[in-house]
Amino acid sequence: MSDNSVKTANDVAENFEPKILVFACNWCTYAGADLAGTSRLQYPPNVRILRVPCSCRVNPQFVIRAFQRGIDGVLVAGCHPGDCHYTTGNYYTRRRFLLINRMMEYMGIDPKRFHTRWISGAEGPKFQQVVTEMIEEVRAIGPNRKLRDDMKVTVNTDDIVASVEADTKVVADNV
Amino acid sequence: MSNAFVYNFDQVQNEMRAMAKELLESGEATMVIGWEKGALPYQSTPVMIRSAEDVDKLIWDAYCQQNLSTYLIDYIYTDEKVAIFAKGCDTRAYNRLIQDNRIKAEKCIVIGVPCPGMKNAREAARLPENAEVPMANACKECRYPNPVVFDKRVGTDVTAWCTERDFSDVEAIEAMPADDKYAFWQSQYTKCIRCYACRNICPACNCTSCIFDQSASGWCSKDINASENQFYGVTRAFHVAGRCIECGQCEMVCPSEVPIMLMNKKFIKDIDSLFGAHEAGLDTNTPAPLSHFSVSDPEEFM
Ligand code: SF4
Ligand code: SF4
Ligand code: SF4
Ligand code: FES
Repeated sequence: MSDNSVKTANDVAENFEPKILVFACNWCTYAGADLAGTSRLQYPPNVRILRVPCSCRVNPQFVIRAFQRGIDGVLVAGCHPGDCHYTTGNYYTRRRFLLINRMMEYMGIDPKRFHTRWISGAEGPKFQQVVTEMIEEVRAIGPNRKLRDDMKVTVNTDDIVASVEADTKVVADNV
Repeated sequence: MSNAFVYNFDQVQNEMRAMAKELLESGEATMVIGWEKGALPYQSTPVMIRSAEDVDKLIWDAYCQQNLSTYLIDYIYTDEKVAIFAKGCDTRAYNRLIQDNRIKAEKCIVIGVPCPGMKNAREAARLPENAEVPMANACKECRYPNPVVFDKRVGTDVTAWCTERDFSDVEAIEAMPADDKYAFWQSQYTKCIRCYACRNICPACNCTSCIFDQSASGWCSKDINASENQFYGVTRAFHVAGRCIECGQCEMVCPSEVPIMLMNKKFIKDIDSLFGAHEAGLDTNTPAPLSHFSVSDPEEFM
């Protein structure tokens, strides 16, 4: 099926270190992560923080892109509703992610792999706790194999040819 | 659904031709967009008519499913005054385009045509001649067969045959284990050939420049494989979420029979339950669910 099929989830699970991508809003969550750092709060080094001007900047397609490129879990985090630096950005984030998170689940992606959280600049401990829990959860379910674009499942041209041939026949029979 | 049998297509067709003739002769319209008979019995294709002599090309039958409103976009920067025939769904598409600021009402004449429900052309192609052809999937669940907005109209109103959408297909997928869901969507999206027919026909997908035409964005690609096709499918569904008028055209034109409406309906179902019932394109004032918000939206991210 794929050129990665030799490496199954179980083979690598033993010393698997999850890669977690955090989209952090500049004004709250990024400051929260910074506070966690300056307060010397420990969390596993599995997170990559990507700073965005506002949680609302996170196009849901960025999340899917991250999974395509081999990330195992994605956290989208911003200011609490009412606290957005741009007043209303995170209300839009909330609507979008309420929907897209449900869609990801509908596509068969484990909901443990994607989260949206409000983490303020004062919530260093919350940042530590959310990412630590997420890392442990993702570690337990293993590497993400879904949506990965290096696991090229190519288009089955035989099926397409067969269906075009069938259609052509229907057309030929009808004229 | 029995409307189809008492509905008199020929009579409405005569009214359509007379209306088109009148509009073109008087100069009220410079062009009329309707349907003409295609090469096969189950094909009725769009036709642009500019001369009153040609109005007899116009037909009205059970295969006029194609939504004509999207063609209006092509004439927004011309001096044309375009009249279109519009079924219930076409009028909702028209409202959609007005609301997206893609067409101007003063350049269009909408001629409403109450619709008895169209037949499933794809099934018709497979069934033996003279077999009873089922109604198109989208039409089965249509709640607005009569035009919701119009400048002129032909025919008489029909009674809607459906009052509520049927989400059982979406629920069936929701109930599947995660790996089965994923396998199902993979099997569907390996069929996609990225022809973009679903995008091109869609009255909600009306962007002046589509992200899928921009190969250098760095985060969306033109590669054809299950992963990128699925990225395309879900992105497009998300872009039309809350604006999809459920005409079913995307699924109908897909050469690979990807069940696109299963994605669209999932968003519709979730929007209704999270943010309150919404019907796209019924008017031009109600904002689309993703273009506004409420401070009392459900909170799941604390
Ligand atoms: S896929 Fe998205 S960007 Fe492209 S036309 Fe549709 S709505 Fe616009
Ligand atoms: S997404 Fe499909 S059903 Fe919805 S408006 Fe576009 S073409 Fe019609
Ligand atoms: S119409 Fe079908 S095959 Fe073409 S791009 Fe859309 S989903 Fe893919
Ligand atoms: S600035 Fe933080 S969510 Fe908008």
